[in-house]
Amino acid sequence: MTSVETRLNSIISEFADLDGREKLELLLDFANRLPPLSATYLERKAIEDRRVHECQTPVFLWPEVIAGRARLVAEVAPEAPTVKGFVALLAEAIEDQPAAEAEGLPDDILERMGLAEVLGILRTRGLRSIVGHVKRGITRQFNAKT
Amino acid sequence: MAQYVHPEVLVTTEWVAEHAADPGVRIVESNEDRALYVQGHVPGAVEIDWQVDLQDQVRRDYVDRAGFEQLCRKYGISNNTTVVFYGDKNNWWACYAFWVFKLYGHPDCRIMNGGRKRWDLDGRAWSTDRVHPQQTSYVAPEQDASVRALRDEVLKHQKAGRALVDVRSPEEYSGQRLHMPDYPNEGALRGGHIPGAVNVPWVLSVNDDGTFKSAKELEKLYTKDSRLKRRSPTVAYCRIGERSSLTWFVLKYLLGFSNVRNYDGSWMEWGNCVGVPVVKGTEPSGGSDPHGVAEAAEASVPPAPVHA
Repeated sequence: MTSVETRLNSIISEFADLDGREKLELLLDFANRLPPLSATYLERKAIEDRRVHECQTPVFLWPEVIAGRARLVAEVAPEAPTVKGFVALLAEAIEDQPAAEAEGLPDDILERMGLAEVLGILRTRGLRSIVGHVKRGITRQFNAKT
Repeated sequence: MAQYVHPEVLVTTEWVAEHAADPGVRIVESNEDRALYVQGHVPGAVEIDWQVDLQDQVRRDYVDRAGFEQLCRKYGISNNTTVVFYGDKNNWWACYAFWVFKLYGHPDCRIMNGGRKRWDLDGRAWSTDRVHPQQTSYVAPEQDASVRALRDEVLKHQKAGRALVDVRSPEEYSGQRLHMPDYPNEGALRGGHIPGAVNVPWVLSVNDDGTFKSAKELEKLYTKDSRLKRRSPTVAYCRIGERSSLTWFVLKYLLGFSNVRNYDGSWMEWGNCVGVPVVKGTEPSGGSDPHGVAEAAEASVPPAPVHA
């Protein structure tokens, strides 16, 4: 099992036995832990096209590879705490892990957390597409640097 | 028009703060983002979710009558309860839930003007309490067809040259923008609009604080600038029927349109249908005015009463 999988499994197990409301409360804890953008990224936000245009609320993502290690820098509007929490959770799962492992993030995280049925089909698919967005970003950077 | 035609369907945050605990009142939050309710809600409010509670989880449709009755019983709503909806996103989903309650004939539905945004701006307190309403009894009638337009009805309506209002963004209306490849479930195979539909983006109906624009502003927007007629049968649509429920609410209750229906299938159905007419571009249909001919004298006719 890769270290990203281990981290993810640990996060998923935190959600496992909670009821729907508690799952959302835990997701809010993740949302609250997402750090604000540093000055550097605030500057980059102004000039780079980092907005995820598929999302109706403002979501800005920087999936990055530094010395072969992955990380995700993100800003999500406070009016979308579910998205913010999920992005924070992804960021925690891949932070400083080998990029090749981050590329393998599974698509069924929400189902395994039991959040898919709390959120419904459209929201689940919307969030799943963020996983795809992060993975593609990591792959692009990884390929560019190797 | 100086006032809304049915001002009683709108309540202020102050009214909600005063009446939320009344036994005959149930406050209902409906959001795009479900975690917002968990983060904080109007004290005593329950949450009804448009995807999980109001929609059938297998077929693309609303819960059936029995499902709706069960939902109301669970959330402490009786047939005579005053149900006040509010939510995020300028009350999109609140209007959607309101519309579903009207689909099942619930008599007294209202919207808290301005939704979560206005509650916040007014500095009112949020609660994180779990709300456990006492189970009620509820008996719903069959669906009220006068609020809902189904695809074949829309097709007939369109062929008859009747009024359609497309409330999506100008980019979606013109066909310039299809939904992104990452969102195949929210996309359509064809872009554009139903021929004859005027484009009045829903967002033009609300102020920055989430409240509805004044009667005068709404009248200018819909009846003067867009030439929709209060007494003409009108169908509103968007992508999945949510933004158009807000426009439906505005037309029916604030402007007093006597016959307006929401096409909840909307572009996610129409843009995927085989053989239905579609046009692209910024004009309703090839640049001609589809609504300018009929009922030119409408302006002098007082709006017909609507029984909410």
